[in-house]
Amino acid sequence: MAHRIVGQPIGRLDGVEKVSGAARYSADVTLPGLIWGKALRSPLPHARIVRIDTAEARAVPGVMAVLSARDLPDVLVGRRMFDMPLLARDRVRFIGEKVAVVAAADPDVAEEALALIYVEYEDLPAVFDAAAAIEPGAPLVHDNPGAYEGAPAERPHANVQSVLCFKLGDVEAGFREADRIFEHTFRTQLAHHGYIEPHAGVVAIDGDGRVQVWASNKMPYRLKELLSHALQLPKERIRVNLTPIGGDFGGKGSLMDLPLAYHLARVTGRPVKMVMRYTEELMAGNPRHPSVITLRTGVTKAGRIVARRVRALFNAGAYAAFKPVPHVNLGGAGMGAGVYRIPNLLIESLCVYTHSIPCGHARSPGEPQMVFAGESHMDMIAKDLGLDPIEFRKRNLLTEGDHLPTGHHLEHVRAKETLDAALEASGWTTPKPAGVGRGVAMTHRHIGVGFTNARVRLETKGTVTLVIGLPDTGTGAHLVLRQIVAEVLGLSIDEVQIELATTDIFETDSGVGGSRVTHTGGRAAYHAAEQLKEQIRVEAGKLGTPGASFAVIAQAAARDGRTLEASHFYDAKAHAAVTSFTAQVAEVAVDSQTGQVTVRRFTTAHDVGTVINPIGHQGQIEGGLVQGLGFALSEELGTEDGRVSTLSLGDFKLPTIADIPPLTTVLLEDPVGPGPFRAKAIGEGSISAVAPAVANAVADACGVRILDLPITAEKVYFALAVSKKERSS
Amino acid sequence: MTRAIRLTVNGTAHDVEVPTYRTLLDCLRCDLGLTGSKEGCGVGVCGACTVLLDGKMISSCIALAVFADGHEVTTVEGLAEDERLHPVQQAFMDAGGFQCGICTPGQVVAAKALLDANPSPSDTEIREWMLGNLCRCTGYYKIIESIRAAAAQPSRP
Amino acid sequence: MNAFDYRAPRRLDEALALLQEHGPDARVVAGGTALVTMMRQRLVRPACLVSLRDVEGLDRIEATNGAIRLGALVTHRAVEVSPLIRERLPVLAETFRRVGTVRIRHMATVGGALAHADPNQDPPVTLLALDATVEIRRASGRRELPLREFFRDYYETVLEPGELVTAVTVPLLPAASGASFVKFLPRTADDYATVAVAAIVTLEPDGQRCHQARIALGSVGMTPLRARAAEAALVGQRLDEGVLRAAGAAAKTEVDPLSDHRGSAAYKREMVSVMVGRALTQAAAAARQMARGAR
Repeated sequence: MAHRIVGQPIGRLDGVEKVSGAARYSADVTLPGLIWGKALRSPLPHARIVRIDTAEARAVPGVMAVLSARDLPDVLVGRRMFDMPLLARDRVRFIGEKVAVVAAADPDVAEEALALIYVEYEDLPAVFDAAAAIEPGAPLVHDNPGAYEGAPAERPHANVQSVLCFKLGDVEAGFREADRIFEHTFRTQLAHHGYIEPHAGVVAIDGDGRVQVWASNKMPYRLKELLSHALQLPKERIRVNLTPIGGDFGGKGSLMDLPLAYHLARVTGRPVKMVMRYTEELMAGNPRHPSVITLRTGVTKAGRIVARRVRALFNAGAYAAFKPVPHVNLGGAGMGAGVYRIPNLLIESLCVYTHSIPCGHARSPGEPQMVFAGESHMDMIAKDLGLDPIEFRKRNLLTEGDHLPTGHHLEHVRAKETLDAALEASGWTTPKPAGVGRGVAMTHRHIGVGFTNARVRLETKGTVTLVIGLPDTGTGAHLVLRQIVAEVLGLSIDEVQIELATTDIFETDSGVGGSRVTHTGGRAAYHAAEQLKEQIRVEAGKLGTPGASFAVIAQAAARDGRTLEASHFYDAKAHAAVTSFTAQVAEVAVDSQTGQVTVRRFTTAHDVGTVINPIGHQGQIEGGLVQGLGFALSEELGTEDGRVSTLSLGDFKLPTIADIPPLTTVLLEDPVGPGPFRAKAIGEGSISAVAPAVANAVADACGVRILDLPITAEKVYFALAVSKKERSS
Repeated sequence: MTRAIRLTVNGTAHDVEVPTYRTLLDCLRCDLGLTGSKEGCGVGVCGACTVLLDGKMISSCIALAVFADGHEVTTVEGLAEDERLHPVQQAFMDAGGFQCGICTPGQVVAAKALLDANPSPSDTEIREWMLGNLCRCTGYYKIIESIRAAAAQPSRP
Repeated sequence: MNAFDYRAPRRLDEALALLQEHGPDARVVAGGTALVTMMRQRLVRPACLVSLRDVEGLDRIEATNGAIRLGALVTHRAVEVSPLIRERLPVLAETFRRVGTVRIRHMATVGGALAHADPNQDPPVTLLALDATVEIRRASGRRELPLREFFRDYYETVLEPGELVTAVTVPLLPAASGASFVKFLPRTADDYATVAVAAIVTLEPDGQRCHQARIALGSVGMTPLRARAAEAALVGQRLDEGVLRAAGAAAKTEVDPLSDHRGSAAYKREMVSVMVGRALTQAAAAARQMARGAR
């Protein structure tokens, strides 16, 4: 079906404020009397706090408050599992944990005062490595994690936050069927999301005791609940005001400093702003979990996978508080099966406590780690079997009616078509010069679920306002929602406006995340618009002028004291039986003298639903892909005994505009998604297969296999040196 | 220790008394209420705080406010003329040159400075000039498209 | 940042008087890219900041006899785009072009880059290879020093309290010479070098044998350094592949890099060999061209 507005490449009409500097992000919010909060952080990974002396800091002119744990209620916070204190109370568990907080009118004065807080620590033994942490006798990060609210009941070791398992068939029986068994272990790095806006928030307590919040948080309604819990206040006392978010990528869903800002506001009677320095982001944000992943796969002579066992150890750091899902693990662990039919499968994913920076969700949580391991493993097996890596994949790809490790059965499976499209567009079979290699990798990404409220209102000037509680994280979702409403009501895009609902307006909303917004927000807006359309039709009938304009209809209703308005609450509880496949080809050149890897060309193919806004859709692909390249090649939070050593964006290197390769995108549109107009999701489709595509290309170019990310020049150089030595001996 | 300074921002002269340690960025944001320029990395790497000082783009997060005493500063708020967006700003909207927008004030100020110095830059020149403006959302492809489109505008001021 | 007294004199003698008055409590600021960043990180907490930004006469690029003189306040960007330098010492323009980003090059100054003494910076490497001379002033006088005697340790120079760098003088290349600057960036385009090499090759009048080679290295020791053994390995030789490789191998024994996010010490050592070879190849090709042009 042809659409009028849906599918049009409409630019970012919603961005005048952003390009002109008028957009007010959380850090830009100013209020009369506003003061700044700054946090003192632990220099030790594990220590008992013997004493905190704040007297000297309190005496600094301009300092209005200094708080340590003893000044705060003894509550623990989190997103699902509540294991983190507001400020370290009796002990610190990672370098960067907050131990005190200062408020002053001048942020520099507050920061200077931090240096005058004296904390006496008594060192305790610490553990930084996930494997070491689950050995018997390892230092315990928490004495009894099972007692925390929201904690999974059972754990094999007190340093395990959670275990997530996926099971299909009988894995032991499957291995007995196998002719060959392959086992490889892969490692991925600790990596920050790289959003350019550090966490920021403002908390003000109104005269009547209402707590007003402005925060870089993508789930305002959940934030209200979490704040209510953390501050021990009824939900009605809290209002979260929506602000644009300066990059999320999974990282902006926690409380972060907001409870501290509240307590500083409470004791000073002033609105308080807390903005993390980027150094604090890098030492104490909530980055992507590093992993050690072992895959063991049984294959028949015919090249069919009959069994796989996956064990993933995620180093989750000192707290589970940043993980938002009930299993307190990483759903991406399910990608241990990749895009393949594996009849007998067991995946076991452990999130492990260590005395390190607590990790959280990052774009496609767990998937870039798991897909790097899985797709590298596929190429290694194919090589060993003497099979072409494409042929090996094709013998095992998911097909119609297959089941995912989650138990979902799949329809409209287009894995093979997506792979073929990527191969063709990449010139897979064309000759390549010496030192150049090509690698392929695949993944798939489910379409997110959640719940959203939408309200549409016909204005007397004939335009329509969409009221929504979803903040703008930058994806262009608000524009997509406007397109949907405009399409349904036969309006132009300019005739639909967005009004952002504070958390007073709706009962609930699952917010932004998990590639769900086009689906849930889109369906809520779609159904609300359909209802409004029906009301308008009825009103027009009452007026007796079937062709009456929206303005005339709205004005007629207004004369009766009525507003034409419709609301819809959309709740997608279960995943649809469709997914979105991705196939990517990296073409790289390897400098044999230095090991430097240059991506010469990149091809990305996606099995997508109806594309509502092609510019925004492509923007998601490109942004995710370049994040994937950073993860593959340059981004790593270095650590030394729990201390993050890359404490600026000068050391933690995000790709620049000069680092991106020529890109070819192929879209295979198949309008079968659960979203409005049969849309699917795209936000997390392009990131996860990039690193294995690059790793496979490096292996193709120079014969060395890099098992741990990022693929630095140094790793390739020394691997080349080893392989030269082996060949000459 | 404070110091009285006079700086001209987007054509308007301001007299402000600032602590000597105040960065130019904090002065613009806190003292003058111009919050368009952002603090990202805080060490001159990311470019979210890019402003022009006497026409030359600099990192305002590692410049002191006192450096601007007697000088002219151009921020993102000064690019539009009479409510009309600068062609660079318009192009970033039309071509999807931003997503979350936090780096965008720096990107458009840098792109404007580029086109002022070089009205029809090659892709290589765009990359070399813009490599100090990090963007985590777009993957940069649409930033390059935006700058190309702005450069192609015949009536660019 | 801490509170400090800020002074912005207009004349050099006033600046020098202030530095003398405040001694070790004062720091000199010009572009601020290094100092303000360190102050924000609380690594430096001066009681007094003496700004050279308003001092007149320190921002000139001048041709003197057989050399180019760069005032301390000349920005990196000014060196990069200077027609004089592009014509007479293109390797210097190229080196400054490779520093960080345009923004930083607009701010950072020649004098600041030297006084900051960060061995990861690019300009000192090429200036060292070019046998530049530093002009230092204090209230009671002035001294000149070869750049090779200027750096002492990480972020440490021979500057005494009360002294500041006012200019650097860079001799032009002799006849039949070629120069190159190679910056190895295995991560991203805006990074500091993993290894940086500046090489200058001067050929015998025959245009074949090496009369003199000057090689300077960055990011591989506590200061930028000259690879003297590698230089010696080239003198009198025809610059074929074997000789260049030998020079690279010699250079690797002269460095003492730290392991960091840009590479382990072992890797940087290996890359010194490779990058010295590449820099010499480029410089030798340019020298041959100059020699041919002269004949």
